[in-house]
Formats: sequence, structure tokens, C-alpha cells
Amino acid sequence: MIVSLNEIEAMAKRATRGAGHAWGFAEEAGKAARWLAGHGLGGAEQLAALLTENDGAAYGELVPISGDRVWRAGSGRLSPLIAGAALSDRASEIAAGREINIGPIAFPLLLAPYAAAAARLTGATFELTWAGVEIILAPGGVAIETAGSALTAPWVVSVRCRRSGRTVVVRPAGTGATTVDAGVWSQLGALAHRTYAPASEASRIAGAGAGLTDND
Amino acid sequence: MSAGFEATGRVTLRPPRLVMRLARLGSLHQCRLSFMRVLLRRLQREGWQFTRPVFDIDARGVGSAVYSASGPARTYSLVCFAHDLPPEQRSDRVIASAWDSTFTLFDGVPSEDDIARLAQNVPKQEAGRVTSREISLSRANRSVRLFEHVVASLAAGRQPDLERIEAVGYLMRTTAVYGSGKFGAVDREGVAARPEFAAPFQAEMLSVFLIRAFTLDLAEHLARARAPETAVRIAPALRRRFGVGNSTGLGLAPFIVNHPVLFNNWITAREKALARVRSLDGAGGIEVGRFCEMLARARLNARQWRSEHPIQIAKLKQLDTDLARLEAHVGSGVLREPAPWDGLYRWAEENLSLEGCEQLVSLLLEPYGDLVDDLADAMSADEAAAFWIDGAMELGRFQAIVHDVYGWALECDWADPVNIARVWYVSEEKLEPRLGERFEEPIERFEQPLAPGRDAAAMHRDIEAWAGEPSVAAFLLHHPEHRHIARRAQIAARFPYAEIRDNTISATMLPIDLLRCKLSFFGATHFDPRSDRWVRINMFQNAPFPHELAAADADDWTYPPLPEATR
Repeated sequence: MIVSLNEIEAMAKRATRGAGHAWGFAEEAGKAARWLAGHGLGGAEQLAALLTENDGAAYGELVPISGDRVWRAGSGRLSPLIAGAALSDRASEIAAGREINIGPIAFPLLLAPYAAAAARLTGATFELTWAGVEIILAPGGVAIETAGSALTAPWVVSVRCRRSGRTVVVRPAGTGATTVDAGVWSQLGALAHRTYAPASEASRIAGAGAGLTDND
Repeated sequence: MSAGFEATGRVTLRPPRLVMRLARLGSLHQCRLSFMRVLLRRLQREGWQFTRPVFDIDARGVGSAVYSASGPARTYSLVCFAHDLPPEQRSDRVIASAWDSTFTLFDGVPSEDDIARLAQNVPKQEAGRVTSREISLSRANRSVRLFEHVVASLAAGRQPDLERIEAVGYLMRTTAVYGSGKFGAVDREGVAARPEFAAPFQAEMLSVFLIRAFTLDLAEHLARARAPETAVRIAPALRRRFGVGNSTGLGLAPFIVNHPVLFNNWITAREKALARVRSLDGAGGIEVGRFCEMLARARLNARQWRSEHPIQIAKLKQLDTDLARLEAHVGSGVLREPAPWDGLYRWAEENLSLEGCEQLVSLLLEPYGDLVDDLADAMSADEAAAFWIDGAMELGRFQAIVHDVYGWALECDWADPVNIARVWYVSEEKLEPRLGERFEEPIERFEQPLAPGRDAAAMHRDIEAWAGEPSVAAFLLHHPEHRHIARRAQIAARFPYAEIRDNTISATMLPIDLLRCKLSFFGATHFDPRSDRWVRINMFQNAPFPHELAAADADDWTYPPLPEATR
């Protein structure tokens, strides 16, 4: 189905919250999904798969147990939503030359929007590399070199993130609507649905404050 | 933390701790920077042309119509679908599923195929889909009490009764005007670069401006169909008295909390405008004359403003008293003194209620379009640029921000049930935002993050106890539950009016304060709360119609005209 970027962001945010993440992560996941869709990189499918896979997992299993150069999760598989947030939080350190190896990590493509945010925050160009993929994230756009399906890999052993000295021709974000698989959309919708309170007649009247006749 | 506080002359901007209180925000009035006024000034300045290429509506009022507006570069068309709605289905609630009329703003001039596609979707509103060729989606219901009176009068060859018109003020009420990518419509980014949409909500305001023309055309059309021999058209002066009603529930309230940078830019523009006028050394005769005229018209407006809600009735009584005192004070010659507008504002802050004081702020801008109208260009926001957290920020500095922005919240007792009585949540029914009672309903687990004060106080406590690396990044890695409020705090440090300095979940909070604040920036008048969380307003009342715009004063309509004898 064809959806607007606004709809993708809202759905991703609600689904991430529905899957049990803190609101801050949900907000960032919404922006991440919007960034990926806006660059024609999909992302909704990876997000739906990730949220389903980590459904019910405790934060402590997914978060980077910080080393100086290597980020790993206690469960063995980092979440890109959490590692991505940590990565953008450390943007200035990476821009200053710190190199980080992240992994094993699920759906590494989902890290790209966070590295893009780090590039915009610092004005530096960043690179993300994993087996078969190199993504250059400059403040003005993204350039991708990839072989086959490696870009959308469900997990990789390690992703290297560092400042890049390269200048590349980047593509800026588009502004149009995008196509999402209907099955993926309903998968996200089911997670988002957990954030909605069931309707009751009491909430319909009290909660929204209506109840007077409108027929005047 | 002084960003945005540059002096615009002698007078600095009012501090956020004064401005960003719910009671004051809930007393705002429309002003020169309101989005309806920005729109009409542009449409006239650029010589926009208006046509009605389609009006295919039968005697029962069923069919479609198209209203096109053409500017220097592009044409937009309001596509209208008129329905025959049984009275029992008429509801102002957003959860309704049928309406008297439904609308979309189309990017260009729709072909017959476009109209056929839209006819399958627009009448269904949220249950249908539009595309990136559409910019807004909206619907309206008739005011039953007035619509039938107008049609019957015109059919009988009479003009409708002025008192009955003034008691309602509109033929139809919109219950939602959706934009910005909702239900498949074009994203804001898709049109934001167009000059005509640079200011906020311009597509939505254009939709309503054209809907108003449609509602009057429809009534005249139905009168002609009912009695072709005797029917007359509405007299132009009487026609102007009709606006478009709007019935707004809680949906708007979370918007201004969820768009802090945008909200900051609205408030900043208004505060800068006020500071510019207050900084003037003297007032010329023309400006004083204009101010006094607008003050008299504001008094008339206050008297025409009807409400049945006890809170608003009390506020209106106070507003009337305030405006009388203001007139008497102005009449005593204070505007001949140096820095007269600053003196007048200071007097009002001491002597008038919030309603009166904020009405004066709006009135002070009226004579000074050349000085303040350019500020409307800075009311949109690049929200993405301010979104990401600065993890490198040192925690000591971050705590100073929290103290500055949320000082009021750090002194609040968040264990007291009265202070946390409410929960903002989203109902599964049409995803409508609602407000519930934390200690009476099983809704807490659905709570939306719309209580910045409470959240900031909790984060502050955890930072005090934090013994790790003193950076925001390290703290948030261990306290992910604070990422949301940490982001808000950093935004508020850069954008001083981003955050409401009040408790949004207390038992005594009035959601209508948030609604009115937003609607005043739209340019709405005659706020009429129907409960503490639902308000009716009037839009474009007394404004010129599209066909009148070229020859009329495009920006002299927001206060009613004075009776001829007193001019």
C-alpha cells in the first residue's frame, strides 16, 4: 500500500512503543523509519521483524554493554534501535576519531538513520560498514555501496562505525509517499494497537468531553 | 539560555515563566500573525483568482462542487461532496462516520477521473484513502437551527433574520481539517517549499476559506431549488456575517505539546511583535486612531461573543469590564506620554485580567502591520533539526537547564494524587486522544508522554543519584525511560517558549486552555467551550468572500464593523 512519510513515522513510533520500548526510543524509531523510507531504503519490514523478534525482551538484554571500542549485548544480539540511539548520543566522540565496532547486531540497516543524525549533529561524514556493505552518511545525504541482499541482512557479526574522510556523491531525501507491504503494515499495526486503550462508553463521553447534543 | 531574548528595541521579550502558563495561553486572542489573516493578506497581495468550475448539486443538496484558487504559480481546488444526512447521524464528534459535506484540497485542477476517485474516498474520511495529490481532508455538518432558517427565508424571498444569524454565526461546522500526510495526503515536506505554504496551516486555512463560500452557495442553491419563483440571494453585507464553525475536541491539545519547536516559533513571533510595538518612543495620530477604532470593535466583538459555559461566561464578563477600563484609561491621555504602548501594556499587566491583558497584546499589533507582519515568515519550524539529543552535554549543565525550564515542577509534590489525577491516552476508537482519571480507570498503562513537568522532576531525581560518567549519553544509556524528557529539556534550552510551564495532568487542568491557544493562532474568534475539553469557534466571520477579496480590505475583518452611526 502507498503511505505518506508522516504515516510511516507515526506507525513506527507507536509500534516501537507497543513492543515495549521507552517513549524516547519510539520517537527515534519513528524518525528512523521516516528517514529510511524517505531515502527509498524501505525499513518498515526490518523494523517489524526486529520488534517481533525482541517482543518481551528486557532492556538489559539488548543494550550495549559498553566497551571503549566494542559494543556487545548481554543477549548476544544488539538492538539497532538502542545501539543507534547510543551511537547518535556519542556523535561528537566518533566525529573526533573514536571508532566503534558494534555487534553482533540485528538488522544493521536500521543503524543508518542514527548515523545520519550523528552526521547532521556534528557536520562530519560517517561510515557504517559490514560484510558486503558500505554506507557513507554525510550531513547532506547518503551514499551506499552494497552487494546483493547484504543491506537488509537480519543480523551481522559486526558493524564498524567511524568518521569517514571520503567525499562521495550523496542522494538527499525525497519528500514523497512510499510503498509498504500490506502484511508488514498490519504487523506494525498490531504492535501499535497495544498502545490504544479499549473504547468504553464512559471514556467516549468523559474522556473526550462530549455528550451534549451536537444537532443544533 | 538567552536564545531568542535579544532586545527588539528598548523592551525585551516577556519571560517564558510569565507567558507559558496555561491560564494565560488559554486567554489568547487572534492577532495580525494568525494564520487566517496571513493567508488572506497573501491571497490579496498576489492577486489570487477564484473560480467554481463544477457545481453539480441537486434539489436535495446531494452532489459535488469544485472551487479553484489560482495564484502566481499554482492552482488549488477544494473538491466538495454534499450529502443528504439524516438528522440522527449528525454529530460533531470526531468518531462520527457520516457528515453533511466532505472536502479535500486538491493540488491543481481535478479531472473527472480525479473527482470519481475522490468520490469513492473523501466521503468516508478516515476510512478512505487520499493520495499525494491531495493536501487536506475535512468535513462539516450543518447548523440545523440556522441552515433551515436561511434556506426557508431566502426561498420565501426574505433575508434571514440578523439576530438568528448572530446567535450561531455559521451555516456549517467543520469537525476536523486534516493535513500533513494524514490518510495518505501529501507530507508537509512535499509542499513546505512553496511560498504560499511557508506559514503554518495555510493549506488548511485555504480549505476552510473555500468551504465558507461553498456553504453560502449551497444555501442559496437550495432556496432557488425550493422556490425558483420567489427565491432571493443573501444581501452581501449579511452574507459576510457567516463564518465557518469548528468544533474541536481534545485532538488538538496534544499537538502543541508534541510540536515544541513549532509552538515556540508561534509564541516567539507574537512576543517579538509585542516587544517591537512596546519599544516605540511615541504613537502617531493615525496609529492612535486605528488602535482606538480596533479597541471599540473589540468591545463589540466581546459583546457579540456568546457562550453557555460558566468558565467562559465569567471570562467574558471580565473581558467586557477590562475593555471598558482600558477605553477609559486610554481616554485619559496616556498615549501622549513617551513610550505610550509600553506604558499601556504595563498598566494592563497590573490592572486587567489575563483575558483583557492578552486582548490588549493583540490590539497593540493592529496599527503596526509594517512593523510586525514579517514575523509571520518565521512561524514554521524545521523540527527535525532540533530532534536529536546532544549526548555530549555535561550533566551539570543539563541539570541547570532542567532547573531553568522545569523549576516549577521540581517544587511540585508529584506524590499527591491531585497533581497526577489525569492520564492522556489514545483510544482505539479512531485513535482519538482522550483524557482519563488515573485513579478511577484502568488506563495508566496506555499513558502518552504529555506530562513534561512530572517527567522532568523524575529525571532530575535520578540525575542527582547518578554516580557514573557525567554525560547525558552515559546517563541515558542506563535510564532510557528519560530519553523523551531529556530531548524536550534540550529543545527548551534552545527554544525558550517550547515548553508549557504548568502541570498538564493535574485534577484542575483545563484542556480548553490548550485548545484555545492553538485556535487563536489559527485566527479563530468567539471561543465557546461546550465542556472543559471541547470548544466551538467561528472562522473567517466578517471576512471578504473569495470573489470579493480583490476589492476588499483583506485584513480588516477579525473584529466586527462598528455600526454606521458611530463611525
